[in-house]
Amino acid sequence: MKLFRRGRVLQATFGCNPNSSSLGVDVTFLLFGAAFASALAVVLGALLRREAR
Amino acid sequence: MKIARARPERFGGIVEVESPRALLHVDRQMMRELGYSDSPLWQLPPEGPLSAPREVHVVLSRRCAAGCRGCYVDATPSGAALPFEDACRILDELAAMGVFHVALGGGEALELDYLFAVAAHARRVGITPNLTTSGLGLDAAAAEKCRVFGQINVSVDGVGAAYAAARGFDGFRHAERALRLLRAVKREVGVNCVVSRSSFPRVPEVARLVRKLRLNELELLRFKPVGRGARLDEELTPAQCRNLWPMARRLVWRERIRVKLDCSFAPMVFWHRPSAKAAAFFGVQGCVGGDVLAAVQPEGAFTGCSFTARPAADARIPGAMAEAWRSGFSEFRDYAAHAPEPCASCEYLRLCNGGCRAVGTPDPGCPRVQEHRSRLPLPVVAG
Repeated sequence: MKLFRRGRVLQATFGCNPNSSSLGVDVTFLLFGAAFASALAVVLGALLRREAR
Repeated sequence: MKIARARPERFGGIVEVESPRALLHVDRQMMRELGYSDSPLWQLPPEGPLSAPREVHVVLSRRCAAGCRGCYVDATPSGAALPFEDACRILDELAAMGVFHVALGGGEALELDYLFAVAAHARRVGITPNLTTSGLGLDAAAAEKCRVFGQINVSVDGVGAAYAAARGFDGFRHAERALRLLRAVKREVGVNCVVSRSSFPRVPEVARLVRKLRLNELELLRFKPVGRGARLDEELTPAQCRNLWPMARRLVWRERIRVKLDCSFAPMVFWHRPSAKAAAFFGVQGCVGGDVLAAVQPEGAFTGCSFTARPAADARIPGAMAEAWRSGFSEFRDYAAHAPEPCASCEYLRLCNGGCRAVGTPDPGCPRVQEHRSRLPLPVVAG
């Protein structure tokens, strides 16, 4: 039996960068750590799928 | 969540969503689930440069009346400007490449009478225009027109007398007035603050201003010895390089504001060993020139970022940017594969990419590089 693997969100950057140098570090988000990143990836993936329907 | 558009990439694709405004990198399977057909790019290995920059800094002019002492584009009142027709043609081409955002700047872009027409053209071709301004000369009517932009940041390198000390002229009142006018018409208004050796201790005052005016972000930009800045001795001290990340964290907690650091600060963050997984997910990267980022100079040069002078193409020649993107920018893209120590053994190398090319390679502001150099034996000088 072949298992269906759901698509994933790999990276998320929020807002726009108005600067000459690229956005390097969003301090606020980085402070939340890896667990928050994993949870956010799942939530964003679900929201994207809902949008696609 | 509303999907504005998407483009395929080797790893899958990049999806732009409008609310909340975000760019999401997704894998191939997610692209399929969103209804996009398989891309020829998916035949390639997932690692590799993006098919086009995500954002491009369009330096509309080197024209500015302010005369800041550290101006990195060496702007003067009669500096060169990218003509309106060229700017629009370049935006057309960037849109065809799949670029999502442009950062319009200068010089002082508000001094150009066609700035809003350029921004409107960017919107027409599907690119979100963003703006950095000193705020000088901005009135209520101009602020109203600024609704066309996504994010607008006003440069404030210090509060009160600290502004004049940092920039060489007393413009704080004008900048604060511009922030109030802009905030009255839109939410996406923030502050850019260049962090230099002498302004470092007073950055918290700028953070308090951001909170007081209810702005949506404080972006800290590293002083770079480029343009007129090359004549100043304002690069951060080693102690300031180490303290940058702790200070940024304190500002987030104390002022409850969103704080962002430009890409050149990444080595100073990675030295504190944040979660690599979280860093990768939130797009925390060092030098992204010639990959995520590119720039167009007022004279037409297409460069890896706006702080480097080496052109990969003349953006005014049709097709030249897309061609250069496919084959150029090796000085940015190949660094990780041939990195010297101490970068070669750094666990963050793939994210950091050696730090900011505008200040040196490897980045002399990186605490790891500083520690490495302090351990090297002194050269023997023949007597």
